[in-house]
Amino acid sequence: MTYAFAALAFLMAGLATAQALRRAALWRLGAAAPVDWVSGLAKLPKRYLVDVHHVVARDAYASRMHAIVAGGLLAATVLTAFAILPPLAGSHLYWGVVALAFAITLAGSLLVGARRYPKTPKRLSKGRFQRLPILLLAYAAGGTVAALSIALAGPGNAVLPIALLVAAAGGLGLAYEVKGGPMRHAVAGALHLIAHPRQQRFEQDKPDAALVPLDLDAPKLGAELPADFTWNRLLGFDACIQCGRCETACPAFAAGQPLNPKRLIQDLVASLAPDGPAYAGSPYPNARDVAGEAGPLFKVIGPDAKIHPDTLWSCTTCRACVEECPMMIEHVDAIVSLRRHQTLELGAPPQKSFETLANLREADEPGGRPLSARGDFAAGIELPVISKRGAADVLLWLGDGAYDLRYGRTLRALLKLFHEAGVDFATLGEEERDTGDLARRLGDEATYQALARANIETLRKYRFNRIVTSDPHALHALRNEYRAFGDDFEVVHHTAFLLELIDGGKLAPGKLDAGTVTYHDPCYLGRYNGETEAPRKLLDRIGLSRVEMARHGRRSMCCGGGGGAPVADVPGDARIPDIRMAQAAETGASVVAVACPTCTAMLEGVTGRSAEVRDVAELVLMAVEASRADEPRRAAA
Amino acid sequence: MKLVVLLSVGRHPVSGKPALPRTEAQAIRIAAELGASIGLHVGPDAFPAEAALGHGLDRAVHLACAGGPDPIGPLVARIATEAPDVVLAGRRGQGGEETGLAPYAVAARLGVPIVPDAVAIRPAGDGLVEVDQALPKGALRRLVVRTPLVVTVHPNAPAPLPYAFGKARRGSIERVDAAAADLAAVAPAPEERPYRKRPKMMRAAGGSAADRLKAVTGEATAGGAKILDGPTPEDAAKEVLAFLRRVGVLAPAGAGATGPTA
Ligand code: SF4
Ligand code: SF4
Repeated sequence: MTYAFAALAFLMAGLATAQALRRAALWRLGAAAPVDWVSGLAKLPKRYLVDVHHVVARDAYASRMHAIVAGGLLAATVLTAFAILPPLAGSHLYWGVVALAFAITLAGSLLVGARRYPKTPKRLSKGRFQRLPILLLAYAAGGTVAALSIALAGPGNAVLPIALLVAAAGGLGLAYEVKGGPMRHAVAGALHLIAHPRQQRFEQDKPDAALVPLDLDAPKLGAELPADFTWNRLLGFDACIQCGRCETACPAFAAGQPLNPKRLIQDLVASLAPDGPAYAGSPYPNARDVAGEAGPLFKVIGPDAKIHPDTLWSCTTCRACVEECPMMIEHVDAIVSLRRHQTLELGAPPQKSFETLANLREADEPGGRPLSARGDFAAGIELPVISKRGAADVLLWLGDGAYDLRYGRTLRALLKLFHEAGVDFATLGEEERDTGDLARRLGDEATYQALARANIETLRKYRFNRIVTSDPHALHALRNEYRAFGDDFEVVHHTAFLLELIDGGKLAPGKLDAGTVTYHDPCYLGRYNGETEAPRKLLDRIGLSRVEMARHGRRSMCCGGGGGAPVADVPGDARIPDIRMAQAAETGASVVAVACPTCTAMLEGVTGRSAEVRDVAELVLMAVEASRADEPRRAAA
Repeated sequence: MKLVVLLSVGRHPVSGKPALPRTEAQAIRIAAELGASIGLHVGPDAFPAEAALGHGLDRAVHLACAGGPDPIGPLVARIATEAPDVVLAGRRGQGGEETGLAPYAVAARLGVPIVPDAVAIRPAGDGLVEVDQALPKGALRRLVVRTPLVVTVHPNAPAPLPYAFGKARRGSIERVDAAAADLAAVAPAPEERPYRKRPKMMRAAGGSAADRLKAVTGEATAGGAKILDGPTPEDAAKEVLAFLRRVGVLAPAGAGATGPTA
């Protein structure tokens, strides 16, 4: 009878492997991708214990639950397998240890059950997932009783067969679930950690968020069918455990736009394998009707396919979902890949972006405004142009915020600070084209690459030590995404630069007493570049009392302005910036500090605001001017 | 239905970079929805042909020649061999070498009618097409015309489809040198003059408040307008006086000698 118990462990392993192989046949439909299996395998433990744990631990309950149940399950099953060794099979101590491992699994199973029963939290999927605690419970309880009965009463006891039967039902059920059910995440998740398409994200402290350039000579541009994704991306979608963390973080979901990153990933899974269990999580809010066949070789996007285009175009590319995903899934890469196909091959970007994309292509600028007017905001403040001088210490990249009246105030503040600190700087003047970030996020990689190449060529003409910009989107493009096209400039955000000026004694701001301030992290600075500290230090330096919103730093919530979402303008129930401003209001802060032209525009656009929206540079200038006003008084005293 | 779209090199109104004129991109959308269409460009540059593919044509013909000669000859020759039902063109130039006259010249040389300012075209069976023509103030006129014909497209036609890089890559461009025999110098030779504002029409004031409003907003119908090009001072003064008398500012002629008379 003890051998039957050991056999169960092998049977489970065998069934799980068979189910995984059936699934792997689907992954193989994907496009080829180079994978270094040896190094990936060697790094698996670290990736799991450090990188995954870092994310999982944000939900303390889930983290504890998972450690106990997964650890127990693995330990109990492996230990039981050793019962094929006769000396162990006869050892009471051994069976005592096995019973302990099963008991731990049992405790974990109860935690899993308690999370779902009596009431399942909204963000969790039901369906097959509701069965999971039952299977776990059966396996763990059956195993505990079986092992305990052998330990106490020997292998011939009467309880053992019944207990084994219960354990087998649970255990084989779990193994069966490896193909289509919740247990798939364990196998796919481990393989995904090894064969992850972005190996870099495990290797460096800063995020790895640069989009990979599209080969414009490839036979097909972007992803149309599930099979157009590389196989390891398909594997990644299969790793999803439907925990709904992405859904909770998604600004478009919160605003009632028809996007839910969890559902999107599940739709991609279901496109690949239409015969799987039905999705049983929260839907796309205000879901658009779709009707169409699904399969590895059916198109994914369209009213007549699996995913409606409105879903695709609701995304702000804020990466909150990626940041929160314990399975390290890259939602934004998938979305951009699908967008590329829509825009490049089908000519079907969002209706409202036609004009914007045409302008970017034909006028190097999304608003179709003259490049020579970019410097108009300066309105009398000296704005040196590098073509007149050939060189400067700092090249100031203005970005398209320069055309915005409100943002002009921020840039004027920055210019004044530069002059005050004696910074040797210049702009590209009318040679500055748009970085192409917007075109790229809207899937127009061709226009993006043309702009990137043109900008790099212009920048190469001049001598400067580094680029400073107040636009995190431009920063991300110039610093990270242009690298693939041969740029290696040092790019600094204006907040980091201002901090440097203050630390170097070039600027001497006084203290402001403007009430409390809360800082809104721009996605492209915080999540995309890991820079969250400089702006906060600046606010502290100028004596403002700072409060944090619940969502801040790398886990901040998007203002709604990225990824071409404002251009696509997919209607929802609420506006993302309104939601974000309400979060800011909860802190009671009288000022919301921003550090991005898009955030400025989005948050300034909120009606009935109770707090002021100020760029960090504007606040620093106020502090510098305040200290100057104090000086005569101090001198007189 | 078989269609040919005439393509030219315009300029983006702000950046001045070469661009397919918007009305031509609109013409492409109309053509592509109607049937087998090809784009046709005569000139040194393949750019318009490539742009036309990106905007939705599957095929374009680039008749290459140096800049300078009149493109009408090669255009007409090629259209004659293609024998399309409808030739579509933009309505006017957009800042490049194109003048907006080509569709008229082509229609004249082919001896077919031209319908300007179309916003929509539908087949009407039996060698006929129905053309919705844009008139001022948003009015539409529906014409039924026998093919073949030339149609120019009005800016109020459906917005052009966006340029798709992949489509431009997929479509085919047939590049042939324009036959030397078809090429002739532009006649009469073009002459460049600085832009001069056209003289404004004088409109009758008076009448009801609504009429006066129409007069200042230029909405009045063109009746009563009169243009004098380079008149003598005497003629001009007579005209002004006659106008003032007509609208009642001055007493009618001969109604008393109190007013200043000529
Ligand atoms: S995609 Fe990631 S975060 Fe979202 S439900 Fe799946 S596992 Fe959870
Ligand atoms: S990137 Fe942001 S908007 Fe897009 S799906 Fe993820 S969380 Fe939602």
